[in-house]
Amino acid sequence: MNILQTLITRRRFLQATSAAGAATAMGYGALRGLAPVRESAAQEPASMEGETRITKNICHQCPARCGIDVYTRNGRVHAIYGDTGNPIANGKLCPKGHLGTYLLYDPDRFEGPMKRTNPNKGRNEDPEFVPITWEEAFDIVAERLNRLRENGESHRFAHFYGRGWGSSDAGMYGDFGKLYGTPNSAIGHASICAEGSKRAKEATDGNNSYNAYDYRNCNYILNFGASFLEAFRPYNYLMQMWGHMRVKSPQTRITSIDVRMNPTMAASDRYHMIKPGTDGAMALAIAHVILTEGLWDKEFVGDFEDGENRFRTGETIDADVFEERWTHGIADWWNEELKDRTPEWAEEITTIPASDMQRIAREFATTKPAIALMERGPTAHFNGTYNGMAIHALNALAGSMFAEGGLFYQMGPSYGPLPVSADDYMDDYAKDMEGKHPRIDMAGTDKWPMAGTMMQETAKHHLAGDPYKLDTAMFFVTNPIWSAPDPILWEEALKDVFIIDTSPYPGETAMYADIIMPEHTYLERLQDSPTYPFEGWPMSALRVPAVDPVYDTKHFGDMLIEIGKRIDGPMSEYYAELGDVENMLRHRAAGFADDPGDNGVNDFESWKEKGVWYKKPYHWRYWRGQFWEWDGDDYTIEMSEPEVKDKLMPTGSGKFEFKSSFLEEHAGYIAEEMGIPEDKAGIIQWVEPRHTGGGDLHFVTPKLPLKAEGRSANLPQAQAYMQPIVGGQGTVFLEVHPRTAHERGISDGDTVRLSAQVRGEQKSITAVARLMPSHRPDTLVLPHEYGHWAQGRWATANGRHAKPGNSGELTENLSDPISGLASYYTSKVTLERA
Amino acid sequence: MAKWGMVIDLDKCTGCQACTTACAMENDTLPGESWQDVLFYNEGEYPSAQMKWLPRPCMQCEDPSCVHVCPTRATYKDEDAGGIVFVDWNKCIGCKYCMIACPYGVRFFADEQPLVEPDIRDTYPGENGQMWSPPYQNPEQDWRRGIGIQPKGVVSKCTFCYHKVSKAPEGVADLDEDDPELKEYVPACVRTCAPKARFFGDLDNPESNVNRLIADKKGARLLDHTGNRPQVYYLGAGASIPAFRPRES
Repeated sequence: MNILQTLITRRRFLQATSAAGAATAMGYGALRGLAPVRESAAQEPASMEGETRITKNICHQCPARCGIDVYTRNGRVHAIYGDTGNPIANGKLCPKGHLGTYLLYDPDRFEGPMKRTNPNKGRNEDPEFVPITWEEAFDIVAERLNRLRENGESHRFAHFYGRGWGSSDAGMYGDFGKLYGTPNSAIGHASICAEGSKRAKEATDGNNSYNAYDYRNCNYILNFGASFLEAFRPYNYLMQMWGHMRVKSPQTRITSIDVRMNPTMAASDRYHMIKPGTDGAMALAIAHVILTEGLWDKEFVGDFEDGENRFRTGETIDADVFEERWTHGIADWWNEELKDRTPEWAEEITTIPASDMQRIAREFATTKPAIALMERGPTAHFNGTYNGMAIHALNALAGSMFAEGGLFYQMGPSYGPLPVSADDYMDDYAKDMEGKHPRIDMAGTDKWPMAGTMMQETAKHHLAGDPYKLDTAMFFVTNPIWSAPDPILWEEALKDVFIIDTSPYPGETAMYADIIMPEHTYLERLQDSPTYPFEGWPMSALRVPAVDPVYDTKHFGDMLIEIGKRIDGPMSEYYAELGDVENMLRHRAAGFADDPGDNGVNDFESWKEKGVWYKKPYHWRYWRGQFWEWDGDDYTIEMSEPEVKDKLMPTGSGKFEFKSSFLEEHAGYIAEEMGIPEDKAGIIQWVEPRHTGGGDLHFVTPKLPLKAEGRSANLPQAQAYMQPIVGGQGTVFLEVHPRTAHERGISDGDTVRLSAQVRGEQKSITAVARLMPSHRPDTLVLPHEYGHWAQGRWATANGRHAKPGNSGELTENLSDPISGLASYYTSKVTLERA
Repeated sequence: MAKWGMVIDLDKCTGCQACTTACAMENDTLPGESWQDVLFYNEGEYPSAQMKWLPRPCMQCEDPSCVHVCPTRATYKDEDAGGIVFVDWNKCIGCKYCMIACPYGVRFFADEQPLVEPDIRDTYPGENGQMWSPPYQNPEQDWRRGIGIQPKGVVSKCTFCYHKVSKAPEGVADLDEDDPELKEYVPACVRTCAPKARFFGDLDNPESNVNRLIADKKGARLLDHTGNRPQVYYLGAGASIPAFRPRES
């Protein structure tokens, strides 16, 4: 009997191994957290004894900042759950949140500071890192920075960052740059993230920000390319709201517009798959219907003086007969653009039936409160800002701005000041450097006058030496050699730059590093984090270390302080006074004493205990034609027009602008870069997308729910569940409509080659095809997930687990001239069997 | 003793798989050993295609076919433990009869080729008889009920997080994660479910919320014709598994 044989063998095996386990219990086995096996229970490991401790933290796997309870026993984290007391998490988590323990115990983590000994840099060059002490690391960097300063070249030092969390990391850059004397502290990643929606809002309602939303009370959502149930933020909270919206009375009706099938589309009441880059045309057609059918919110927008609707297709109106209330420029918008933007016109552009757009317009305008939301989908194109403005304008037409069930902006936390002010420690050199040189990315210059940051331009500018060459660069939570558009150029550019990388993990940028300064992972950090735009009222969470650092790592904020202390002149005194991150956070928390949070948090200790300070409610509300301010009990203080302009809609007119004063200020630039007549630059309008790549198929590269802030390619658990649509087997696939595949002789499971023109050269990546009849036949989908060559053992695995290439390599570095957002979703590629 | 039941509302489920990862980390399962999987189905063609999903835990059947076929009585239904179906890893011989008998595909034998390579068991080799020993482990271990990390050569499955549920106060009708007093006793998948598509309570208590939901929304059990009578009920549209079709190539 084989079965019996197996049974006996296994029992013997157990007895043998339990003895071995007991023998190693004092050594590494004990470190690993396993209880020693007792003689009486020789057949199985006993439950681990000891007390479980819960510390507060916030997740690091997307920008959402969900509060988490970290469960630790015997110095080992064993579970992560949502923090019930955190208003974003409410005890819940998204699929990524639970995997945080993997990020802490990632076997590929850097174990301490290192320096490079191989001067050659490249994809196939081993950096030959050797361990050094933190003192050595700081001294090497400081010596370099001091030398730059001596030579009057401190502008050639740049900080780059991805996910900044708060005042104790990215919040320190401004003072560092000011004291040291560089305009490049820091180059943020927003222009390769979602800057388009911020600029669309700045151009219409004056707020350079993402929105806060009142999903709890809204009755209609018209969602353009914000993957609400995948990657929009705060994802966890959005799902909580989804559950609420689907059972509340009345049930919130949800229409989704996207370029591909996805869970948001599938779960919505209605979806339409739009041609990439054309969302603005659809939004304009919806606005056209709302106006011609008299469905706009007359208390917010205003009305014709006699109440008779003169918005008739193709006919202009007399601006004098429309009495506009809280908006600006509706007559010009109608006369110069909207009167001809019929659903029939938009059907030609978007491929969505005119009758459906008409129905959506009627629903949206009559099922209030209604929210039109959008994110990177419509805005990651050449015409992104105009697309976003057209969508956001629907919120004005529906009267949703600052209304219950509508959308508003985010208030900041009541922080105390730092113990020292950088202004008091600037030497003459630092003062002389202020404004002397442009940023390396040229953001905010004549080249990109409306862009806040242009990280993706850095490689090009450095290679050309225009405006200058970088000397030294320090990276924090960003990996442009993999994540920037056209990352190959970064591989060239960073070869002769002295690189300091601070990631706890290996990555492509780290492989170019001269110094590795690994920071703590988030479960090891003390770190503050004011919320991203959420529900409007202020909130700031705190990360409290759950365990002592597993390796010889440091807090990024403390790294800046330690480098700062070593810079010649008064800068070193400033950082000596600042002390360390904990001291900074204690001063921040002092501000809570005069403004205790709703959960009783009023100092540093209570902040650590509860993990979050917050104070409801949001202070402003639009209601029936007027704006009202909170008086402590209710919204009773009527706001004047100047107050609304000052506090809520800081545009030129103080109103929501269909004719943008922000864009009109840059009309010459817009005319030159986009071919739009100067006198029309401010009008919300249809602009043709400019597709790159030279191929015949649209190429979109979404983020999936399990994309763990760039690390999921090395998280085996994440890869196991990397569905939908067609992953879930340790990889993701190139999703292609069967007709498109068959025309090219491609069968399901074939390895395919995707090619595009980038910088005039034909670039290619490979992937495995999966036939997906749900998608548009003219659009290919490849999740932006893999193609890493240096992230760790799983990310670089070969054999049957070879991963598809990096979609970024097919992405031309073309940006929206207004927002500066890289056009990630605008490539057109060719597809063939490999 | 309660009869524990789970209710999953497919009208609220967003297919996010937080149930899957919460379960995986709570129970230290291997990548792909998804005691709580979410299955995705795509039907139709652009522009009218549909996509749907089905979260699938062990059904903890009232009359479990896995128990009937187990030659060593390793797998058993424990009426004193809320009617949960367990595998006793001290008795399991890994013959996989139960996996074939189970109509729901919710039993796992993880000894074979790993889903994700390189094999994580090479990174964290097993100690003390465990198949693998990651540095992060749930402190709770109970091999007689298939809780903890399994030894080699056994079948594993969802335990309704018995190590949590078993500590709940006696007589409680529902384990609602929104009640701070109860959240630690709620199964991981239910506790983390952001859209609150999952509910857990006593099917023997007519006053329980789970029974109310089953009544109000006409709860259905999967493959009811098999007679297994699951203790997991589905609500809402889409509680059906499309017939298997080979993928078009």
